[in-house]
Amino acid sequence: MLDVNIQSVSIILDDDNRLLLRNLNFKIEKGFIYSILGKNGSGKSTLIKSVTKLLLKQNYEVIGKALFNGTDLLNTNEEKLREIRKNNIRYVFQDMINSFDPLKKLEYYFNNFASDKSKTEKLLQYFLLPAYNNIKELYSYELSGGMAQRLSLVFALSADPEIIFLDEPTSGIDYAAANLVLLKLKEFTKESNKSVIIVTQDIKFASAVSDFVAMISEGTLSPFLPKDKFFSSELYEDHKSLLASFREIES
Amino acid sequence: MTELLRIENISYSVQQNKDKMVVSILKNISFSINEGEILGVCGESGGGKTTLAKIIAGIITPVEGKIVWNQNAVFSQSSINPLQILFQNNGEILNPFRRINDIVTEALRIKNKDKNSIIQLKEKLFDAVGINPELRNRKGYELSGGEQQRAALARLLAVNPKLLILDEPFSAQDVESQLNLVNLFKKMNKDFKVTILCISHDLNILRKLVNRVLIIKDGEIIECGKTEEILKSPSHPYTKFLLRAENYSLALDELHSKK
Repeated sequence: MLDVNIQSVSIILDDDNRLLLRNLNFKIEKGFIYSILGKNGSGKSTLIKSVTKLLLKQNYEVIGKALFNGTDLLNTNEEKLREIRKNNIRYVFQDMINSFDPLKKLEYYFNNFASDKSKTEKLLQYFLLPAYNNIKELYSYELSGGMAQRLSLVFALSADPEIIFLDEPTSGIDYAAANLVLLKLKEFTKESNKSVIIVTQDIKFASAVSDFVAMISEGTLSPFLPKDKFFSSELYEDHKSLLASFREIES
Repeated sequence: MTELLRIENISYSVQQNKDKMVVSILKNISFSINEGEILGVCGESGGGKTTLAKIIAGIITPVEGKIVWNQNAVFSQSSINPLQILFQNNGEILNPFRRINDIVTEALRIKNKDKNSIIQLKEKLFDAVGINPELRNRKGYELSGGEQQRAALARLLAVNPKLLILDEPFSAQDVESQLNLVNLFKKMNKDFKVTILCISHDLNILRKLVNRVLIIKDGEIIECGKTEEILKSPSHPYTKFLLRAENYSLALDELHSKK
């Protein structure tokens, strides 16, 4: 469904371009959850933003292709791109609380992004958020970080997209909420036959939720491996040390 | 074991603006912290963990109860401020107009008059937290999140506190950084003789650091004891719930019946 072949992602600097990521080759199929692991600052967020051309073009140069059902997202016209983003792709970023306008009541976002009221009500209830009539009266700054994160998922899911990209879905939420997110994502992929791409440093969550796992290190992405294989093999230095720390914490 | 401070029957509540309802945040909390120990506080978001830290630090006043410091333990060390907190958004304690080096020097000057000993202590501190000479000349916002946290720690330790409170120090860190932090905190506890109270929602990593842990739910201590024992045989259903949540083995109806 999504076939990415990006040769390079560079940041444009005054004197020169600096290469951030290279050789990003992967395919996303329907019905699966894919996780990309990587350390702080390894370029995880840049990677998922590069796929749908969300990086500002005056600052970043992306060379390659990202085919979504046959349309190259990186080389199509703005109108078509906007159409695809609107109907088929949703993102949930890490600091969602900052992506709401503090001067607007949440009602504004519900009207624009979650028009199906009964579906929204169910999702709010699922994620243990206040009922629609109460939450719509709030402003974004009245939400806690974890609530904002869960609410963004409600908006993403109610659009019924083909793919959801999640950037650090477990940061700022406790384990109980993370369990809810996990179960919902499984339902979304398995029952509705949709796809989810997660970038995270939370290995535990990734190992519980994913079907396939890959890792970013030294500016490039490893192939996606079935979860069990990823966690039972030691492929290269960074992978080895990541798994070693994970095991040490778990022991 | 000498007691460093004792928290006696602390309660805290706030009144909501909208409907004037009184919401209880902490209920009748009592425990003590021994000198030299590393104590953990664990519980879910909104459980009152940060409020408790702020009350111990004297930032907010409890509605009921009191904090009793062991005067002998505190003043034998001639501490000016016996307590320091590392907050969650620790970058904000670093003055954006000043270099890390100057921030730490200024804190050291409070208690040390001799120039040479300030330089020596500074070296010791920066080495301990792993801030290399190049980073020392930067300002807070020129450092990564992890570096900011370590720079902030150097500044906190510079005033030789008796008690260091860490509020969610592990959130937003990868596993390797988490383990490095655990080792760093243990080293500080030993080398700088500082007692540590560590707040975290993550029992998984907390157990690597703390000898004793309090589990808080809805503002009440529901379990307290040696970390190993609590993890091995949790007695309260909520602790069991927490442990199963960490392994992502909860079913939907369990999660929904929680609230």
